[in-house]
Amino acid sequence: MLDARIVKARREFIVDVSLQLPSSEACGLFGVSGAGKSTILACIAGAEEPDAGRIVLDALTLFPPPLPLHLRPIGYLTQDAGLFPHLSVAENVRFGLSNGKREAGDAWVDQLRDRLDLAPFWNEPAQSISGGQARRVALARMLARRPRLVLLDEPFNGLDRHLVRELIVAVAEWQRELGFTLLVVDHDADVLSRLCPRVIAIERGCIVQDGPWEALYARPATELLARLLAPL
Amino acid sequence: MPVGAWQWGDGSAIAGAVRVSLVLTGIAMIVVVLIGTPMALYVARTPSRERIWWQAILLISVLMPPLALGILLTLAFGPHALGTFFARAGIRLTNTPVAFVVTQIYVSIGYYVLGAIAALDSVPAALEVQAGLLGLDRLQTFWRVTFPIARLGFAVALSLAWVRALTEFGAVVITAYYPAGMPVAMWTSLENFGLPAVMPLLVVFLITSLPLPWLAHVLAQRRSARA
Repeated sequence: MLDARIVKARREFIVDVSLQLPSSEACGLFGVSGAGKSTILACIAGAEEPDAGRIVLDALTLFPPPLPLHLRPIGYLTQDAGLFPHLSVAENVRFGLSNGKREAGDAWVDQLRDRLDLAPFWNEPAQSISGGQARRVALARMLARRPRLVLLDEPFNGLDRHLVRELIVAVAEWQRELGFTLLVVDHDADVLSRLCPRVIAIERGCIVQDGPWEALYARPATELLARLLAPL
Repeated sequence: MPVGAWQWGDGSAIAGAVRVSLVLTGIAMIVVVLIGTPMALYVARTPSRERIWWQAILLISVLMPPLALGILLTLAFGPHALGTFFARAGIRLTNTPVAFVVTQIYVSIGYYVLGAIAALDSVPAALEVQAGLLGLDRLQTFWRVTFPIARLGFAVALSLAWVRALTEFGAVVITAYYPAGMPVAMWTSLENFGLPAVMPLLVVFLITSLPLPWLAHVLAQRRSARA
């Protein structure tokens, strides 16, 4: 169970949200760019520190005080794959396994490599692969550690449509198989609704609607939300 | 202007000056790295307002005229200041190897720390966040991610500090005339015997001071050209 109240001042407004997410549930954070969605994810991951609030994952208090990053059972993937440029693709994927996680085993890494089609460039330097390939490597690296909470911040932005479709299917399958809690940020309702049955809509740092997609489409809580959900 | 036949002497004076410069500068560089690296890490990861203050303080040691720095160090280490405290511990801070090393640390640490901060700035913070979430504590993150990515920047910073310390004359001639390193030995040779006596030491000086920074800069240029 993720139980979070996050307060964080930004230049234009204050992000102030409370959210509860049962274990193994997938939930999307939806809203226009700059609404504060990424700030919420960054605070949960530990990349940013909230000004106030409380974040608890199962029995583990993430904030306050801020729990050191290496003690958080969290996987965090952003638009920037964040691969380590001095390592090969294989070394990047195995990076998190050399720290007491060896029991995860090579079989799991092999499965990730094959499912995400990383074999053709498995031993290449990470800095020599394309953006789409880097995003797949980052996904494999994150999942190799089997995190309890996975945070995806517009993970498929800018990728080819067919690749996005494949990755959505893969992530959804792994979420069911591994049972991790999933929180995804995106401004693409199509992507989010395929991954997450529940959606939380955010505007200027506040939750304006929380529920299933059907309710969001049927009765959007704000005019901006209605415009965002309208077909092109 | 013709220099005339080079005077090598018996070579022992040259060897002594080279030994003093290389050994004591080497010790100074070890201290500079041990103190300067955590300092650079702290400043590089500190909020911008505090960072500006730290960088301003570091710039003072870089911009201070060497002669003025030497006089200030002599005052600081003199009998009416820190010198008394160190004397009680049996440490003399004028005209000793300790004085030589301390002066070199002062003149070079600003170069190293400012260079190291620039090297650390080239490592995206997001990579360190990822390393943390992949199970590495802060020290492990530094050794396995930050340092390997920034290592050439660190090498350039160290090479600048090395050259600055090894070639230091103005401050060292005041705080540590003895033991004479290469710059002071060159000056005394020039004063006493003229150009023919100083030429052999000049060649050794260039050979020992140039290769490390030259190599570090060439490697850094190659890397930035590849990126």
